[in-house]
Amino acid sequence: MLLQAIVNGILYGAVYATIGIGFSLVWGVMNIINVAHGSFIMIGAYLSYTLFAVYHIDPFLSIPVVMLVLFLIAYAIQKYVLNLVVRGSVFITLTFTFGLQILIANICLLIWSADFHSVKLSYSSLSFQIGSVIIPYVRLGIFLVAILLTLLFYLFMRKTKIGIAINATALNLEGAKTVGIDVGNIYAITFGVSAALAGAAGALISPIMSINPFVGGNLVGKAFVVAILGGLGSTVGALVGGLVLGLVETVGTIFISSSYQELLGFVVLVLVLIFRPQGIMGKRFY
Amino acid sequence: MVVEMRRKAIVLIVLVLIFLVLPFLVSGFWVRLVTGIFMFAILASALNIIAGFTGYAAFGNMIFFGVGAYTTAVLMNKLKFPFFTSLILSGGVAVLLAIVLGLLLLRLKGHYFALATLGAAEAMHQIVNNLTDLTGGGQGMSLPQMRGSPFVLNLFFYFLMFFFLVLITFLVWRLSKNRLGYAFKAIRANEEAASVMGINTTYYKIYAWSLSGLFTGFTGAIYAYWFTYIDPPTVFDVMMVVKMFVIILIGGAGTVFGPIIGAFILESISELVWAKFINLHLGILGTIIMLVVIFMPNGIIDLVTKKRSFKGIIKYLRENKL
Repeated sequence: MLLQAIVNGILYGAVYATIGIGFSLVWGVMNIINVAHGSFIMIGAYLSYTLFAVYHIDPFLSIPVVMLVLFLIAYAIQKYVLNLVVRGSVFITLTFTFGLQILIANICLLIWSADFHSVKLSYSSLSFQIGSVIIPYVRLGIFLVAILLTLLFYLFMRKTKIGIAINATALNLEGAKTVGIDVGNIYAITFGVSAALAGAAGALISPIMSINPFVGGNLVGKAFVVAILGGLGSTVGALVGGLVLGLVETVGTIFISSSYQELLGFVVLVLVLIFRPQGIMGKRFY
Repeated sequence: MVVEMRRKAIVLIVLVLIFLVLPFLVSGFWVRLVTGIFMFAILASALNIIAGFTGYAAFGNMIFFGVGAYTTAVLMNKLKFPFFTSLILSGGVAVLLAIVLGLLLLRLKGHYFALATLGAAEAMHQIVNNLTDLTGGGQGMSLPQMRGSPFVLNLFFYFLMFFFLVLITFLVWRLSKNRLGYAFKAIRANEEAASVMGINTTYYKIYAWSLSGLFTGFTGAIYAYWFTYIDPPTVFDVMMVVKMFVIILIGGAGTVFGPIIGAFILESISELVWAKFINLHLGILGTIIMLVVIFMPNGIIDLVTKKRSFKGIIKYLRENKL
């Protein structure tokens, strides 16, 4: 029972990490609390659902397409609109992304209606067993892809020129400008990468979670908790944060009623904020 | 200056008089609509004390609304308390909560504070949701209905909200002039400097949040009795706080009348859009929010008093663009 809960927690946690990384990236680099992050996840899930329902493309295969689409949408939003206000206080940008969130919810409502949708895979009931622990193949696949994405993101931030430029811009905006970095473009790429990860997370959850146009708010709550738990601006931190949230939610419900599941995450969040505001891993920059 | 003051006072008195006779002239629909706008104006003004004056963005302020609503509901249902006793006790409970939470959370700065209050509000939401015996849980709770004709009920809640709106506006106006208000503003401007100059920042931050919580709690209590039914998702709705922030942004943060003006503008637009384009309601609201943020980040009061032209705004945007 406990072992099963721990395994479930870890499997869930990797997806939470993917959700949290993009959110923490945007917050850490541009000081934007992107309330619309959940909406990007939702768009990802809807795209994956549509590709599956219309063209019968497996959600795992549609991930690159979903990521590309989300990258382009977010890149354009940051480049042409958000860059206008990004220098304002954090509440200006937060309110802006809130406006964006309800606009996206409305668009999704018009396209996909208010009904719940989910991808029904033919192999979703297949699983294997190790000792007493049951692991469905779908969840294992989701876990592996989420870990792979986290790893790729880590390498992108450390090894590529653009990743290093993002780090430089986050460390010192004026300095980055001085050495010739086009910060407007870097900000747009940052937002795009964050949305691409959100989209991938959306495609990943589409087989295991039903979505409607209003789940964005709930998802962004998870992203908040993961980002705070892990500490802003650290990939490893977000991974740890995601796993901790996953474990707290699943293992915690063994000991107290499952209706308190949501509460647990927030209690841990408030406790971490009070005792360790810099997060568990507490290190800025990637 | 004196002429200016006198003119402002006259405008204010005329407005108050208009609102005093208004409910006798228009239909019940409009009375309820304006009562709702008053409610948002009180909530936004209350948030303005902690967020606009003191600079602490309490994103979880709905915790006081929910707790106020549930205190009144429980007291009236289980203990058969009269409404006004419950109302006052709700305010008291909200203040106690603000003090306890403030001691824990107000040492956090910036977004950490904002998020911790959000977490606290969400935690309280879940607790109320799970205390089924006391609160009815997810099924919500009905309150005893007030006796009287619909006309009398409408008037009662209209004037009750109006009374609290006038009260909080007077309070915020006093804050804009007195020592207490200056202490709040000093904390917003530079907390360390304020502390060095001998302002007990912890005390004043808790004071500000308690005032904010008091009025938010009162409003929650009135809301509960007005709607006679409450459930956790409605009274702990985080989006309400975001809406209040938008109202403050539209009107102007840290000003006395900004939140009231903002509430009237946003709620009127919202109502209009709701009636005309029900399918696009959210989309239009979202677009308006984004446009407000881009074109008037300092609020409409700033736009009017500084006489910014459209050209000026574009120039400002160009200069501040990344």
